[in-house]
Amino acid sequence: MEGLEHIVSLIETLYSPTGSARADDLNAIQQQLQSIQKSSDGTSLANALLSSEAVSDNVKYFGALTLTVRINMLTSDSESDPMFLWGLLKWNLIHLANLTQRYLENNLSKSSLVIIKKLMSNLSLIFIDINSKKPNEIREDAPVTHWNNPVNSLIVMLAFSGQRWNQINADDLSVNGMLIEMLNKEIAYTDVMNFSSLTALHNEVLLMFTEIIVEDLTKFQSKKHTMLFIHTVVHQHLYVTSIALLTENLKSLTTNKNITTVETIFNTTNAWINYASMTRAASPMDMNSVFENLIGVMVQTNETNNTYELATKILSILGNVFDNDPAMIGFELRQELECIFLGISRVAGNVDNSKYQWMLQYMNFLVTNACFTELKELSVCVVDFLQINTLDLCNKLFTTVQKLDSPQHLQQEYIKVLLQLTNFPLTPVLEESFSVKMVEFWLDLSDAFSNQPHDILLPEASNIAVEIFLQVVNIYLPKISLLNKQKIIASDEDEDDAFLHEFDDFRSAVLDLTQSLWTILGNNHLTNSLISGIGMSDASQLQGTSADYFGFYGIESMCFLLDKLLIDMTLSESSWIFNILAKNEYFVKNILLLFQTGVGIDASNKSSMTLKLDFVKSSSFLIGTLASYFVVAPQELSLCVETLFQGLQSCTISTGPHRNLHGKLETIIVKTISQLCEMCRSQLATYLFHFMDIFKTLIQPDVTVSSFGRGKMARSIGYVIEGYAGHGPDEQAKYIDQFLDLLITNIDQCLNMPPPVNVQQIDYVHSLLNCISEFGSALIHPEDSDDPQYLSKLSAFHQFWASDPLNCRAKILSVLERVLTHPGYNQNSGFIEVSCLLLGKTLTLPDDDPHFLRFSMNEITEFILSHLTISPYSTALPYFAYLLEKLVSHYKNLLTSQDFDILFQKVFLNYYDDYLCRDPDLLQAMVNFVISVLDTKPSILINSASFSNFVVPIFIKLLPSQERFTISAVTKFWTKLINNKKYTQEDSITTKRCIISVGQDVVSQTFYGLYHTQRSDLNSYTDMIRALVAKFPLETKQWLIAVLPQLCDKPQTHEAFINKLFVTRGSRAAGNVILTWWLECQSLPSY
Amino acid sequence: MSSLCLQRLQEERKKWRKDHPFGFFAKPTRKPDGTMDLQRWEAGIPGKQGTLWADGLYPLTIEYPDEYPSKPPKVKLPANFYHPNVYPSGTICLSILNEDQDWRPAITLKQICLGIQDLLDSPNPNSPAQEPAWRAFSRNKAEYEKKVVIQAKQYTK
Repeated sequence: MEGLEHIVSLIETLYSPTGSARADDLNAIQQQLQSIQKSSDGTSLANALLSSEAVSDNVKYFGALTLTVRINMLTSDSESDPMFLWGLLKWNLIHLANLTQRYLENNLSKSSLVIIKKLMSNLSLIFIDINSKKPNEIREDAPVTHWNNPVNSLIVMLAFSGQRWNQINADDLSVNGMLIEMLNKEIAYTDVMNFSSLTALHNEVLLMFTEIIVEDLTKFQSKKHTMLFIHTVVHQHLYVTSIALLTENLKSLTTNKNITTVETIFNTTNAWINYASMTRAASPMDMNSVFENLIGVMVQTNETNNTYELATKILSILGNVFDNDPAMIGFELRQELECIFLGISRVAGNVDNSKYQWMLQYMNFLVTNACFTELKELSVCVVDFLQINTLDLCNKLFTTVQKLDSPQHLQQEYIKVLLQLTNFPLTPVLEESFSVKMVEFWLDLSDAFSNQPHDILLPEASNIAVEIFLQVVNIYLPKISLLNKQKIIASDEDEDDAFLHEFDDFRSAVLDLTQSLWTILGNNHLTNSLISGIGMSDASQLQGTSADYFGFYGIESMCFLLDKLLIDMTLSESSWIFNILAKNEYFVKNILLLFQTGVGIDASNKSSMTLKLDFVKSSSFLIGTLASYFVVAPQELSLCVETLFQGLQSCTISTGPHRNLHGKLETIIVKTISQLCEMCRSQLATYLFHFMDIFKTLIQPDVTVSSFGRGKMARSIGYVIEGYAGHGPDEQAKYIDQFLDLLITNIDQCLNMPPPVNVQQIDYVHSLLNCISEFGSALIHPEDSDDPQYLSKLSAFHQFWASDPLNCRAKILSVLERVLTHPGYNQNSGFIEVSCLLLGKTLTLPDDDPHFLRFSMNEITEFILSHLTISPYSTALPYFAYLLEKLVSHYKNLLTSQDFDILFQKVFLNYYDDYLCRDPDLLQAMVNFVISVLDTKPSILINSASFSNFVVPIFIKLLPSQERFTISAVTKFWTKLINNKKYTQEDSITTKRCIISVGQDVVSQTFYGLYHTQRSDLNSYTDMIRALVAKFPLETKQWLIAVLPQLCDKPQTHEAFINKLFVTRGSRAAGNVILTWWLECQSLPSY
Repeated sequence: MSSLCLQRLQEERKKWRKDHPFGFFAKPTRKPDGTMDLQRWEAGIPGKQGTLWADGLYPLTIEYPDEYPSKPPKVKLPANFYHPNVYPSGTICLSILNEDQDWRPAITLKQICLGIQDLLDSPNPNSPAQEPAWRAFSRNKAEYEKKVVIQAKQYTK
């Protein structure tokens, strides 16, 4: 070992906060010191450092840390020498006794406490190690076979040994005997108390030691499976000492002025509660005396003595217990707490109201002094406490179970208190959390009620439930008001939005609760009262009378909740909705007023922006949800649409700093319009020209509207025109044609502008083409529609669109041609994409659905072939390939193998050398197209010339590709070719012949690829090999026998592989067999 | 449903209600008779602030198998959801949801939801689950971003 002085200087350099040493040097020092710690000199060094009075606390701490390293080395070695363990135990004890002795005599600074704690932690590790051994694991030659109570050992060493521990010669053999005797010496309860009462420091040291031990025990529980024995030892010894200590400390808590001691008492209490909770199954330790003392202290706190801080800490401890392990607290104590928290008990008996007075005074203090964090702590504790008893409360309130000990009036009183608590008179989230936390309680209670078997419910249970839960809803309505959100925004000084998010979360939770309560309250009590609340009186009287939108906050809250209740109802089939709305004539008008008020808010700051968005959102969502009601009661539909249009207009003319907000509003409004148009297509038929006029404005290039907004409006108009289906094809086509002309004119105006073409123009033209696509989607007749008028005209529609007298398709093809040949536009793949979308729009529809976009096979193939040559091939091919896939799928019965050859040649083969073979993505697109043909109608492919001339030979070559995506596509092709459920008998014969003729090559290339691939790509080959084994077992075996020796010289591995592979017969187990073979071939371990 | 599965799902529900990230929601669906179906949940994942996904609240369905938590839940976004790691069916390709990869029974609903939120803006190009989004993400970022923004509008919060 190097000189002690040198080591001390290294340690000082390492720990020096203002040291000038470079990071590299510090690393080197650290490594050097670590190697000494781990060497056989480690313990000697630690002893030297800890014994020296001349070194700093840093150096001493390093000494204690070195002992930790030695202990960890010991505990990781199960066969360790028991003398080594004893040595470490002895040294740690002596150093701890020495330092603690001096600390208690005030001869050491406060900073030396960190060394004492480290030594305590070392002893705790040794304590765990000694007591974790099973009886048969304890060695007979060990000096220490058991250690019951480290805290008692320390007391004995300090109070009863009469030793000066800094003068002890540890190498003296008699010291060993003395220490072993002290280690498990029993001492009386009074000895412990006497020691702890000597000074505050004596008390604190003992508390600290027991806290460190149980914290370690809790920490190591998850790591060690052998710790069951130790809990019994702890229960029998350390628990007794520690609880006695804690009890005494808790009793004097209110008079203890030493902040450090109070902190230590709470830390130790928490540590013991956590430990006792963790070991409850193994060795249940009763903590009720601790809880009893805590509660006792809590109700003694008051404002006069300035002791409420203690109450907050105790409530936090209790809250933690209620949340994690409520059964730790016994029934009597829980009952006592119930009286303290609520002033009432669910069980008949005496209620100590004096303690409830404490609760009222405490709450009053918190409210008066705006201690909202503490108030939140209290609410968490109380509500967690309440949730323990939800089921019991439910039984007592609503069922015939447990009626004897709980008179009904008591339960009603109890509920009254809970309702008062929920209706805590402050702003939720910002100032109080009772209402927020109570949502969970009411949700649990409603769930418990709904899940009760009907046969045990009281006859009046439903009435009781309605009475309670209706009050709950009425309490929450003003609580979730946006008025409160405004207060939160106004007070958010940090602008971190945490309270704002919490409030939104609260609103969502109340929404969930309301949905849950609907099963109990039904439409009669819940939905109807919300509808009445919104529509009973004219809200226009509220406008202009108050600058703070007072009346609209209430309407918004009700709209917010009602929307979610109505969303799952089929309103068009419900007579209930008509009756209730008839009684509430202002219902729709008031929702629209809320919308208009929102739109009209001047969004000048965060508060008004949020309010504007929330008002518009809640009203728009509800209008959208009411769409199915308007189908049968369209009287106010036009008013809705008109109001929404006005709102939309106000967003589109707005630019500048609020564009983001207006973008959000636009999205919400336009989605609602689209929802109404989709649902009420025929009811809105008369408004078509109005719609068209508005659309004309929206598609002007200078109007601020998003592409999404334009597309949604185009779709909306499409729905309305689709609603004209009953009028026959001529009228409908007239509107379609007008709409197309409108768009095409605007596109042409843009195309004809002088160069250069800018990004805005490109986006604009793209958004108009996208409008045609959206419009086309809306014109698809709904699958579930059985409109007799339309069905009677179906053949007329077929004839009409087959001949297309207005040349709609030709107009579209023509404008696409102009865009795709325009030098300013044709390099943008977005135009290819939207063109392919338009041409393929009807390829997924049944043949008998007429549509203005039903392009023929020739039109589509001509479009592809003509534009492929002028478009950027690399970016355009995926879209063309996708369109081709849909074309083949739709026209599979018309398409011949010769057609396929022509298409395949022109779309893929002509570009193979220049593009495809160099680009794995394009290769993948080609292979996927071939696979799609195999999936659709295999005979088209397997009877084509391209199949034998190109597909088979090239796809064999692609098998050992370097690219993951090529491998996965090409193996998928071969898997599909080998095993395909779409094959006719003839197809099967053809492909079987093909596989047998090329099988040797296929297997050779597959296994070459497999052998050289990465482990992560092995799975790509697995399915294909499984298919080969399952379909061609005999041939594949011979092919493998021929191929494998050429890959590597491991005959036994190959033989075992072949044998195992064929046992699997192509099942999933083959995957493991292939992996094992691969690992063995690569000489890699199989883990 | 096994008692282990039931117990764990009740625990998950309790945990979620006590502590879930802001803006997310997750709850068991209800059966036609109004009772709760703990094995089928619906959830919403908000896009991360400051990303292209920010404006949307993306709906999820979560189906817990009888073998849960030994086996992971099946988590789906809507069909045809535009994301490189989402299959056309909506099934999400994420290692912590894969029994053969990183699934562990200790993984909570909160971790799953946060994992999906992360995945939205940080796709894994090595695990493509759909062609269009994967291709655009790898080769044409502008097109990819445009579509993500439009999709976010479809699922406006």
